[in-house]
Amino acid sequence: MRLGSTIARLSAAGLIAALLAGCSSSSTTTQSTTASSAAPVAAAAGSVIKIGVELPLSGGDASNGIPTRNGVILAVEESNKTTIPGGFSYAVDDLDDAVQGKHDPAQGVLNTKTFVSDSAVLAMVGPFNSNVAKAEIPVTNDAELAQISPSNTNNGLTQGDDGKKLRTSHPELNSYFRVCTTDDRQGAAGAAFAKKLGYKAAFIVDDNETYGKGLADVFEAQFKKGGGTVLGHEHLNSGQTDFKALLTKALNLHPDVVFYGGTTVSGGGLLRKQMGDSALKTIPYIGGDGISDATFLTTAGTMANGSYYTVAAPETSKLASATAFVANYKKRFKTDVGPYSANAYTAAMIEIAAINKSIAAAGNKMPARVDVTKAVAATKGFVSPIGTVGFDANGDTTAPILSLYKIAGGKAVFVDQVNLKT
Amino acid sequence: MDVFYQQLINGLSLGGIYALIALGYTMVYGIIELINFAHGDVYTLGTFFSLAILTGLGVSGEVHGLALVGVVLVTMLAAMLLCGITGVLIERLAYRRLRNAPRLAPLITAIGMSFILENVMQLWKGPSPIAFPAVIPNPSFQAGGVEIAAKQIMVIVLAIVMMVALQLFIHNTKIGKAMRATAQDRDAAQLMGININTTIAMTFLIGSALAGAAGFVSGVYYGTTWFFNGFEAGLKAFTAAVLGGIGNIAGAMLGGFLIGLVEAFATQYIPSGAQWTNVVVFSVLVLVLVFRPSGLLGEALPEKV
Repeated sequence: MRLGSTIARLSAAGLIAALLAGCSSSSTTTQSTTASSAAPVAAAAGSVIKIGVELPLSGGDASNGIPTRNGVILAVEESNKTTIPGGFSYAVDDLDDAVQGKHDPAQGVLNTKTFVSDSAVLAMVGPFNSNVAKAEIPVTNDAELAQISPSNTNNGLTQGDDGKKLRTSHPELNSYFRVCTTDDRQGAAGAAFAKKLGYKAAFIVDDNETYGKGLADVFEAQFKKGGGTVLGHEHLNSGQTDFKALLTKALNLHPDVVFYGGTTVSGGGLLRKQMGDSALKTIPYIGGDGISDATFLTTAGTMANGSYYTVAAPETSKLASATAFVANYKKRFKTDVGPYSANAYTAAMIEIAAINKSIAAAGNKMPARVDVTKAVAATKGFVSPIGTVGFDANGDTTAPILSLYKIAGGKAVFVDQVNLKT
Repeated sequence: MDVFYQQLINGLSLGGIYALIALGYTMVYGIIELINFAHGDVYTLGTFFSLAILTGLGVSGEVHGLALVGVVLVTMLAAMLLCGITGVLIERLAYRRLRNAPRLAPLITAIGMSFILENVMQLWKGPSPIAFPAVIPNPSFQAGGVEIAAKQIMVIVLAIVMMVALQLFIHNTKIGKAMRATAQDRDAAQLMGININTTIAMTFLIGSALAGAAGFVSGVYYGTTWFFNGFEAGLKAFTAAVLGGIGNIAGAMLGGFLIGLVEAFATQYIPSGAQWTNVVVFSVLVLVLVFRPSGLLGEALPEKV
């Protein structure tokens, strides 16, 4: 009896082990299906290199996060069709940093630590939001893990003393890069566009986050420098939904334009919607790329029309270099590219090129993270859908191109593009 | 001076919504001394129910004439009923068993209920903000230099009507009497033949129905909603209830309007004031509680309902 039960237990344990093995092997195959079918080189065991993707994939920010992640997926799939030294293949490992519908720095740090603890992750794309990046950079810097953001525009993430403070573990090794340009340029572009459109008196509102406030401050300085008047600069409370009092205050100062620094979810959508309930309804609204998402259109409703926003990326449909990317993206995902899809694709491609180089340098073996990071830092003249990209000493892009869009008839229409190479 | 009156209107209409929610907080606290943290989410649920009913009725834009009265009445009453039932269910399933437990247990349960409701709503309509149809035409009236929108009048009037109706109900009906008795001394009330369970369930029904009304009104007023709305609104409404004297119905109303006004005036008259509204609101609360620990109207009435 006793023996019988032991045997039963043992066989049950064996069965469970077999099942588990079955599970894990099947999950490995799903992860590398694209790889094994495409990679001509015979893959050695455990040869999958993961690109960590850290973006808001649910909630109000998901309309930005998902097209951005798709850019990375496309890059990885295309790379797996090429010959990768050492017989390695690439896979996407994505984690969501949205908590209760909104991007969350603490969740971003948790996700980054998950990547750091996974030795197969050699580089990371993300995050989407600057405040999340601010929390993550010390983690990736400590782990020497290369991280390229497709969309973080806050200056302090890379530049000046603020940037240095984030790189305390390895001050000499910069592991954070971005393929988009910075808020000083985005704010400057916003101010330049506002001036070009003939606006002279601005009322500024921001969401008091790293990104929003930074953007609004630069806009304020540049708008004043360009001869404009700033009538007021207000900051929203997190979670605020009623802006009637704020808008009454704005109305009585008679602005001819309202500038908003921040994201849709942190108030940008509702603020614009509530402008429709007052005499401010005919006043144009200019924002940064934080309101470039589809959620802005649904939140602001018909009031979305007449809004402008800048995007720290070139308009892909206007770039000859992006034609192939746009076509491939449409074919793969059956939707149009998002504002940061091409940036994410480029970020992943830069990382993959750097990893390939490091694999070769390591004698076709799994390279160390620090070597990959150094290879990413050395990127110069990288030909990509968004033009020729390289990184300066801070990790910022050397090709700062920005676009301006206007919302009309519920759709974003491209207005203007500017290259602010300084 | 025009700006002052304009902000007065803004503050009163914002406060009207706080007040409607605060009524539910204060009623429940009055009768079982529980801070029902799920109440803010019942309010959001009211917006979601209203949205579902409007979709069911096929309403997606402005309605005029007699149809408007019909749509508004049907939607609001149905949302109130559904929220009321939700409130009763929450009480029956979660709070009733803990009625004699230490105070912390039902409090934590209430926070748990709040999370459950939020996540249910997130599953239902997704985590993004949702558009709410502009059912009511919104003409605005000019009085001097002040612009008053029809919706603002609706919010303020509805809040006052609801409070008066509630006050009359509690003081002039048998159930109201039972509620007051239960609030004063639950055991004694039971000895007098009052069914405690029914009375408490009634309190939840009415309080949650008021949150449902607030939900409908806020949906129409702001034209948008999302699952997390109730958190901030609930917190402010709770503050309003404490400010006015928790357990006191007129106090909840007063507190709601006061907080709305403080927010509006702080935004207007403090340079870069928008970011300081919460600081000002809670400073006012702290000051009031220092000098009147039971709230503004807390001691004026001996009953807690």
